[in-house]
Amino acid sequence: MLNIYDLTKNYGSFTAVNHLSLHIPEGDLFGFVGPNGAGKTTTIRIICGLLKASGGSVQIGNTNARMGSREMKRLIGYVPDFFGVYDNLKVHEYMDFYGSMYGMRSRDIARLTDDLLELVNLSDKRDFYVDTLSRGMKQRLCVARSLLHNPKLLILDEPSSGLDPRARVEMKELLKNLHAMGKTIVISSHILSELSEMCTSIGIMNRGQLIMAGRIEDIMQQVAGGRRVHIQAVSGVDTAVRLLMEHAGVSVESVRENEIIITNNGTDEQLSALIGQLIQNQVVLTGFYREEGSLESLFMQLTGGGAQ
Amino acid sequence: MKIRWNPIVKKDLQVTARSMRFSWGLFAYDAVLVLAFLLATAVIQASCDNYYSSGNIYSKLIYLFPVLAVAQVCIVALIVPIITASSISGEKERQTFDIMLTTCMSPFSIVLGKVVSAVIRILFFVAAGMPVMALSFVVGGLAWSGLFYFVLTIILLSVLSGSIGIFCSSCCRRSISAVVLSFAIYFVIYVLTFVPLILNLLWTEGESAGESLLLLLFNPGVFFEEFFMQIMTGASLFGTEGSTFSRGDVGLLTYYLSQGKTWMFLSAACILLLSLLFMIAAAWRVNPMNASGSRKK
Repeated sequence: MLNIYDLTKNYGSFTAVNHLSLHIPEGDLFGFVGPNGAGKTTTIRIICGLLKASGGSVQIGNTNARMGSREMKRLIGYVPDFFGVYDNLKVHEYMDFYGSMYGMRSRDIARLTDDLLELVNLSDKRDFYVDTLSRGMKQRLCVARSLLHNPKLLILDEPSSGLDPRARVEMKELLKNLHAMGKTIVISSHILSELSEMCTSIGIMNRGQLIMAGRIEDIMQQVAGGRRVHIQAVSGVDTAVRLLMEHAGVSVESVRENEIIITNNGTDEQLSALIGQLIQNQVVLTGFYREEGSLESLFMQLTGGGAQ
Repeated sequence: MKIRWNPIVKKDLQVTARSMRFSWGLFAYDAVLVLAFLLATAVIQASCDNYYSSGNIYSKLIYLFPVLAVAQVCIVALIVPIITASSISGEKERQTFDIMLTTCMSPFSIVLGKVVSAVIRILFFVAAGMPVMALSFVVGGLAWSGLFYFVLTIILLSVLSGSIGIFCSSCCRRSISAVVLSFAIYFVIYVLTFVPLILNLLWTEGESAGESLLLLLFNPGVFFEEFFMQIMTGASLFGTEGSTFSRGDVGLLTYYLSQGKTWMFLSAACILLLSLLFMIAAAWRVNPMNASGSRKK
């Protein structure tokens, strides 16, 4: 659906996006992750035609429309991180305004407005002034607006920023519904747990470069998750540490009073044999578990602890 | 065939019509016009009551028209840049401009929509001032068609002021800077276009203005002067009848272009052309695909 080839954006000597190439298949819910200044928003703005790329190209679907062209814009629905409003404009007038800007007929806009407001749970706010809505409602309205022209690709730039927990949950549910309807969605967010819950694939950016991209479960498998093992013992901790350090394929990461954390680079069979060896050597084990990988830990590992 | 409104015009008018600021603006506009009318009437009456004055009041009341017209033109010249100079920068401040640019509207359509909505808003003001304006016609001496031409002239001025405002709005991030820049461009168009004429007259020791007058085709002030001359006296500022200039005073081209009503029509065309250039420049500036990208937003 979305193919990005060698995308680059320079601001003078500063490179905001550095030779980024990415393929997002149709129906995917893709999460863009990265610390502030990583180049996520710049990439999104280039895709939406709001910024001119210094190099590279973007292709949506099978079209060969150039970046920023009317054909390209027709394929994209864009939800910015900040929702600006007009005073004295009602919800249905707001929808009518943007529908008209896509060249849609008033009758079609009115019909779609009713359907979309129902989808985003704002049917009862149809005749309300937009500036009287809560931030969460405004954001959902913005999503409804972006769907008016039935775009193939929906791009959301940090849609949950500034929302309260309830509004975040509502937004997450809305995006899940849209994904279930078959929409291809690209979302950048600061809330990593949220992304890991709903995205089917992610891309991690740092300093303008795409460090890693792929299906979320594949990425989790690749990195620390599943390889870090916690061993808890009531006695024989020193013996256990000595045995573990002697074992090829195992590195001891930390030792606390009753807990040893190791990284196992061997197979599950080797790990099983190692546990048996510990028990044979009078190490009294009380616990043994694998650490589940999380997007947070993966993110911290790949970006060198860059704060989100 | 159904005519499609530019969505920006519809939205802007909807939003404007609902604001109290607009209603107060109309009230203030009419109040200023009434004050100008009363002041002009008092001055005319005083001049007729003068012992040495030989004219009667009815022949002098004709001057109510230029007084009210100039008052309207001044207000319009002041209002339009303020409306349009904040149109794009206002959208940027409100953070709605990016969404606009992601739609299928071309940058030129966005700019045109903003200018047209400003002109329509000015027409509301003109319509509101019409009863006061009509008072200068009831005493006679002026054709009612003059009122129609006056409205056309106001539209022309609004288009120029609007396009200057929108251009400045596309150049500046803040509305206030755009307004200041608009008035700077006003100064260039209204005042600095006289500079070549003055230099030419100094160079020739006042013998001939040459073709330097042609630059004044772009000056709305000169256009208005010519308009009032035509409406009130039927003569031209530059023409042969009641003319200021003879053939020897100006260049050959200027002389022929200033005959009859040619100058006025040509000036109107030049002002429209200038407006179009400002709008094209504004559209070019707001198009993200034309950005040089040397500065991080």
